[in-house]
Amino acid sequence: MTRIRQGYIARRRRAKIRLFASSFRGAHSRLTRTIIQQRIRALVSSHRDRDRQKRDFRRLWITRINAVIRESGVSYSYSRFIHNLYKRQLLLNRKILAQIAIFNRNCLYMISNEIIK
Amino acid sequence: MASCSATSAPSLCSLLKLNCRVSSARQNFLLPPLSVSRKPILSPPSLSFAFKKIPGIAPRRFSESEAPEVEAEPVPESEPAQIVESSIEVPKREEVFAVVVIGSRQYIVFPGRFIHTQRLKGATADDKIILNKVLLVGTKTSTYIGKPVVPNAAVHAVIEEQGLNKKVTVFKYKKKKKYRRNIGHRQPNTRIRITGITGYQDSPAVTLDSL
Repeated sequence: MTRIRQGYIARRRRAKIRLFASSFRGAHSRLTRTIIQQRIRALVSSHRDRDRQKRDFRRLWITRINAVIRESGVSYSYSRFIHNLYKRQLLLNRKILAQIAIFNRNCLYMISNEIIK
Repeated sequence: MASCSATSAPSLCSLLKLNCRVSSARQNFLLPPLSVSRKPILSPPSLSFAFKKIPGIAPRRFSESEAPEVEAEPVPESEPAQIVESSIEVPKREEVFAVVVIGSRQYIVFPGRFIHTQRLKGATADDKIILNKVLLVGTKTSTYIGKPVVPNAAVHAVIEEQGLNKKVTVFKYKKKKKYRRNIGHRQPNTRIRITGITGYQDSPAVTLDSL
């Protein structure tokens, strides 16, 4: 068998991985073997966190709605608000309610008044 | 939802054919500030507003950079150009917004802006669409709250493009077990431009005075 030099095959493969980790800190963007490991960890985290993201945002929305709802009236809370929402057959979800709470707070007050009646 | 009363949940579900678990599946985009009370941005329809949303598919954010960009435009213009521009009247967009359900996800919708939704089957570019599941319509002074839907309200939209989302790398890995799978995924989506919100005027409205 003739001798075959490796050439640029490995370098090309590692260049792609290096590009992925080009914004990492310190040795994690400079040393090849470390880059390979960090890339794996980064991709695994993003895969896992894509599922967590759905949970995290729901928590955020609930916290935001809770904060705004508690301002109106004594002993009024997120749990009562959601209970009233379902009693009155509204279908707005927490994402929309949180957005409204931030950017059109009067609208949210109108909704909560409608529900309390 | 566990807190749903037994009678209301099935009736609601059957009414709108939604899953009983009202899932707030988000669209991908970071939640950039969405200012509903902002003055309408007058711009030629060819400008597409960048919608960024929480990582997901449907976009819907209005980037904050839009307003300063548009407002800065008329300033450096010379006088004759300014006179010409003031005579060309851009039709004023009404300051309405609606909350609409598409593909069991809820979106806040403004006339003139676009949103990305799940791929709508059998739709081609420049198709007119009417969305009937309108949960809330809001204007500057009043809101029309739907129980659960605002009666006779419709959101008119035009399909712009059927495309794919940004690629997401699904990387499965088990350590010390020599298992790794690298899969790329692009979710199909549809870009829809909202042209108008109609039919809500007759429904009972809640106004600021009643607060």
